[in-house]
Amino acid sequence: MPRLLKRIPSGWQICDVAETPWIAQDEWRAGGALQVGVDAEPLADWLEASSVAIEFPAMTDGRGLSLAVLMRNRLGYRGELVARGSIHQDIVHFLARCGFDAIELPNEEHLETALKWIDPHTGYYQPSVIRSESALTSAN
Amino acid sequence: MYQYNEFDRTFINQRVAHYRDQTERYLQGDLSEDEFLQLRLRNGLYVQRLAPMLRVAIPYGTLSSQQLRALASISNDFDRGYGHLSTRQNMQFNWPALEDVPDILQALADVDMHAIQTSGSCIRNVTTDQFAGAAADEEIDPRPYCELLRQWSTSHPEFEWLPRKFKIAVIGATFDRAAIGVHDIGIRVNGSSEQPENALVDIYAGGGLGRTPVLGALIRERLPVKHLLTYTEAIMRVYNRYGRRDNKYKARIKILVRALTIEKFKAKVDEEWAAINHEQGAVPAAELSRLSAFFAPPSFAELDNAGELLGTQRLENPAFNRWMKHNVHPHRVSGYSVVTLSTKVTGMPPGDVSSDQMDAVASWADCYGFGEIRISHEQNFVLPHIPQDKLYALWQQADAIGLGHFNAGLISDIICCPGGDYCSLANAKSLPVAEAIQRRFADYDYQYDLGSLDLNISGCMNACGHHHVGHIGILGVDKKGQEFYQISLGGHAGHSGEAPRLGQIIGPSVAREEVCDVIEKVIKVYLGLRFEGETFLSCFNRIGILPFKESIYAKAA
Repeated sequence: MPRLLKRIPSGWQICDVAETPWIAQDEWRAGGALQVGVDAEPLADWLEASSVAIEFPAMTDGRGLSLAVLMRNRLGYRGELVARGSIHQDIVHFLARCGFDAIELPNEEHLETALKWIDPHTGYYQPSVIRSESALTSAN
Repeated sequence: MYQYNEFDRTFINQRVAHYRDQTERYLQGDLSEDEFLQLRLRNGLYVQRLAPMLRVAIPYGTLSSQQLRALASISNDFDRGYGHLSTRQNMQFNWPALEDVPDILQALADVDMHAIQTSGSCIRNVTTDQFAGAAADEEIDPRPYCELLRQWSTSHPEFEWLPRKFKIAVIGATFDRAAIGVHDIGIRVNGSSEQPENALVDIYAGGGLGRTPVLGALIRERLPVKHLLTYTEAIMRVYNRYGRRDNKYKARIKILVRALTIEKFKAKVDEEWAAINHEQGAVPAAELSRLSAFFAPPSFAELDNAGELLGTQRLENPAFNRWMKHNVHPHRVSGYSVVTLSTKVTGMPPGDVSSDQMDAVASWADCYGFGEIRISHEQNFVLPHIPQDKLYALWQQADAIGLGHFNAGLISDIICCPGGDYCSLANAKSLPVAEAIQRRFADYDYQYDLGSLDLNISGCMNACGHHHVGHIGILGVDKKGQEFYQISLGGHAGHSGEAPRLGQIIGPSVAREEVCDVIEKVIKVYLGLRFEGETFLSCFNRIGILPFKESIYAKAA
C-alpha cells in the first residue's frame, strides 16, 4: 500500500492509501483520476476529475508549482491535488503552499523528513493559495 | 535603512535551522551531491575551484556599520580575513568550510543578514543605485520598492525553481547607476518619496548579459506602484511556465522574450496580469508608507557647502584634490557629499577588502556618516552622507589603509570578476589582466587625461564582470586550451544619461600578453581623434569602431 503525505484539517500526516489508477490526459474521462504533466494547460474539464496528479520530471522543475496555483486560483479546482514524480523531501513546503494536498515521494524512506519540513516557517512574506495573510499584506 | 522586526528575525532563524539540518544530512550521506547542490545554492553556497564560496546578500547594497563589523568578524573567524565585493552588490567569502556554513549563516542572522537566494535558479538579491537616498539627481528613493521586492521574492512558493537565475534592478535617479537595461527585470520608479504609494513604475524585461547579451525592452509604462508585485508575478509566471529548461544557455528570460517577440511576450504577460485579481493583490498604501519610513533621510545638520575650506585643503594636497575630483559626488543636501572608497589598488584583486578595512569603513560610517555604508556594482564602498568639512579627515584615514585611491570612474577603476583564479566556470584568468592594465596606465596624469572610462573584465561569457557594458570590455575565452581575450568597445551601462548599449567586438581575440598593447592602441586612437573635452564614449559614438579596428589589426607594412 503506497504511503504519502496528506493534508488533514490539523496539518499534515503520513498516510497509507490505496493505489490510485491514474489516467493520462489523452485517455482520461470525467470521473477518473487524472495525471498531467507540468507543461499542461489547465482545462475546465479537469474539475470533473476524482483527483488530479501533477507529475514533476525533476526536483528543479517549478512549472508544476505554477500549474497548481492556476488550478486552485484560476480554475477553482477544490478536489485532491497530488504531487508525484521527482519530489524532494526538502522542498515539499513550496508544494504545500501552492495548493497540493497530497505528496508522493520517489522514496518513502524520506517521508519523515518531508513531514518535518513541510512548514519550516511560522509565517511567510507572501500570501499563498493556502494562507491569505502574510507579512506584506498585513502591514505591522 | 530597513530594520528587521520579529517576523523577519524568526523567518531567517528558521531558515538557518532548516539549512543546518540539510548540511548535517548531507554530511551523513543522506543527501546526494546533486540534491544538496540545489539546497546549498539557494543558501548562497557554491563549491568553487579551490574551496567553497559563500555569497552573502547585501540587500540593494545597503549595510549598517554593525553589519559590516559582523562581516569583518566572519571573515576572521571562518575565512582568511578578507571578503570580496561582487558586481551585484553582495559580499563573497572565498574560503569557508562547508561544515561551518550553518554557523556563518547564524552569525549573519544575528545581525539581520542572510545568504538566501544569492545563487540558484531563483530571484536573486535586488540591486539598485549605490547613491540611493543621497544622490543629487535622484527623483525618488528606490529602496522601499527594493525592500518590497526582497520580501515578496524571499522563499516565494511559486518562483523558487525557475528555468534559470533571475535578476531585478531598480532605479529612481536620472542617471541609471543600477544598469536596469541589462537585467531580467529593470524597474524605473517615477514620483516623489513624499508620496511613495503614488509612484508610477516603468517595467523593462528581457535584458541580461551572459552568453547572449540583450537590452531589456519597455513592456509597461507608468504602472501604479501598488500593482508592482502582481505585475511582477505575471512576468514570473509566464517565464516559469514557458522559459526553456532543456538548455541552460537558452534558459534566461531574454531567450523566451526573443523567441516569442517582445510584442507577444508583453501580450502574454498582460493577459496573465488581467487574469490575476490585481486589485485584491495590490500592495496596501499603508505597507508602502511603512516601508518608506525606514528610508527617511537621516537627521542632516543644517550645513553650508564647505567650498572655501575644501578649496584650501585641495590646494595644499594634490592627492586629496584628485580624490575630491573623482571619488566625491554631489549630495542632495547642502554641506554633504557622497564618497566612493575605491578598492581598485594595483596588485589587489578588484573588490577584495580585508577585515581591517571593513572595520575601518564601519568606524568612519559611525563617526561621520550616520552609520550607513553602500556597496556599488563597481565593487567599491560608498559612504553616502559625509559632511563636507569631514572629507579631508576621512580621506587621510582612508588613504592610510589603502582605501583612499583617487580613481573612481577612471580606467584603473576596473570591474572584474574573480575569474580563473577562483571560479570554476571561468575560461580564463581575469585578475592578472586587470593588474597588468592598472600597471600600464598607472600614471595619474595619463589616467586623468583619459577621463571617465569604464573598463570591465569577465573571465567567461557568464559576464559577471559586465564586459558587454564596459566602454572597453574584455572577455576571457578558451581557444584550444589557451587563454585568449576578446575585446569590445563602446558598451555602456546607462549611468551617463544615455540609454544602455552593448559593446561591439573589435576583432579576433588576442593572447594575454598582448591585451595591454591592444588597450594602449585603442587609447591612442581615442587620444588622436578626440575633440577637446570629448569622453571616450562620446568619441566612440562619433567615429565608430572602424578607426580602432584599423589601428589594431593593420597588417604590418
